[in-house]
Amino acid sequence: MAIDQVHDLQLVFRKLLHSMSHPGSISSFPEMADRVDFDLSCSDTTLLCAMALLDAEVTFHILSKDNQNLIGKIAEYTLAKYAPIQEADFVIVLQDDKESDILNAMDQCKIGNLINPQQSSTWIIENTRLSNDGVLKLTGPGIKSHAHLETGFPSVLWYSRNERTKEYPLGIDLIFTDNDGQLVCVPRTTTVEITEVK
Amino acid sequence: MKTESHFAFFDEGSKKEIRRAILKAVAIPGYQVPFASREMPIARGWGTGGLQITLSIIGKTDVLKVIDQGADESVNAVSIKKLVNSTTGVKLVERTQDASIIQSRHRIPEVPLTEDQILVLQVPQPEPLRKVEAREYITKILHSEDDYSGAWLMLFEQIMKYGKTSTGADHPVYVNNRYVMAPSPIPRFDNPKMHQSDALILLGAGREKKIYAVPPYTDVKSLAFDDYPFSVESFAGKHCHLCGATEVFMDELIDTETSETIYQCNDTSYCMDRLNENEEAEVKGNYV
Repeated sequence: MAIDQVHDLQLVFRKLLHSMSHPGSISSFPEMADRVDFDLSCSDTTLLCAMALLDAEVTFHILSKDNQNLIGKIAEYTLAKYAPIQEADFVIVLQDDKESDILNAMDQCKIGNLINPQQSSTWIIENTRLSNDGVLKLTGPGIKSHAHLETGFPSVLWYSRNERTKEYPLGIDLIFTDNDGQLVCVPRTTTVEITEVK
Repeated sequence: MKTESHFAFFDEGSKKEIRRAILKAVAIPGYQVPFASREMPIARGWGTGGLQITLSIIGKTDVLKVIDQGADESVNAVSIKKLVNSTTGVKLVERTQDASIIQSRHRIPEVPLTEDQILVLQVPQPEPLRKVEAREYITKILHSEDDYSGAWLMLFEQIMKYGKTSTGADHPVYVNNRYVMAPSPIPRFDNPKMHQSDALILLGAGREKKIYAVPPYTDVKSLAFDDYPFSVESFAGKHCHLCGATEVFMDELIDTETSETIYQCNDTSYCMDRLNENEEAEVKGNYV
């Protein structure tokens, strides 16, 4: 069965909204991810997030150059346009993207300006594992005291993310997705500390 | 002629645009995110901002409550409820505890909201600095520079004139120690409910084309001076003439027979709930 563009994507959005307003809280829709019958080189969760957020008014960027097929498909399904990293509203990071490429992209992506901080990029990052059992300690709006998170995102990238969100309200908002229909968000307001022990 | 409307009235493109604005608003608490406010079947300034948020987030399993000045049954609330219900078929309720989305104008319900609920507030004037600066471009610069002297000056002038801050409603607040925000025309009594709230609060201004938000567990501080601390409306020594409640926000009424001043809960579903509970207790007391 295919995806219901109205009700399924509404649910995906509500999960995104819940996770964005509760950073570090993992939302899931495994049953829906199973129903996705597209054969693309990105995970079903990533595709659902892209379909829920992208349309002809926004642009997206995919890091790897040899993914023309995926770029074409996402553009066809959502009507969003592909743009270079400096202009993209959404940046999609796939599982096999190299750390150095992600670092480069993070340096160049949009973080908004002080008058229009909303003109920043939102990242959809594919992951192998998401759990609340990790070395990242999150604090900030939306989190009661603190939350723990494991994303499989290397610490060098977290340092780079912290650097880009330093000048609040400028910054980037991250959405992590995995293969099992789970997602978790880390907006720019969240303070991410890398702790050695839990 | 009656035509079937699309689920939740909007086309999917409109929903997507509003949803993206909502996510940005949550990521930048208190910042007014511009959005392309749609033409709605109710007039601008009558809750179109709140309505557009509600229609963009609502799903088939949601349960909706709409209030207007604390009342579930006033015209504005009823028309909005009817529109949402006829285009989505969602269940409508009056009890605050039963709702998953609560759209409100001018009040935050008395019953504390939970983490699973979303409060949508209708906003007539989202810009707390508008009274001191008419130009949108300039107020955007003031926000970007964290320059809120205009808002402070407004309160200072009230103290000079009246001996205290005289905001009847919409007392400005600092959100997450960065943006000064208009909390919508809720009484000062409700301002503290926004601080570290369990529920997500979304605010929509349709005519002014702005969406902003207060995520749960976020610091919301009402603007006040050290020597003139913030205070809420006091109802000390007063009680609701229907249910006897104290420490809630009350309307002042005149008893038509005795011409005395009486008070009544402003939150009608809260009052009704208490009356039902009292009656149950009375019945049990009499017959058991």
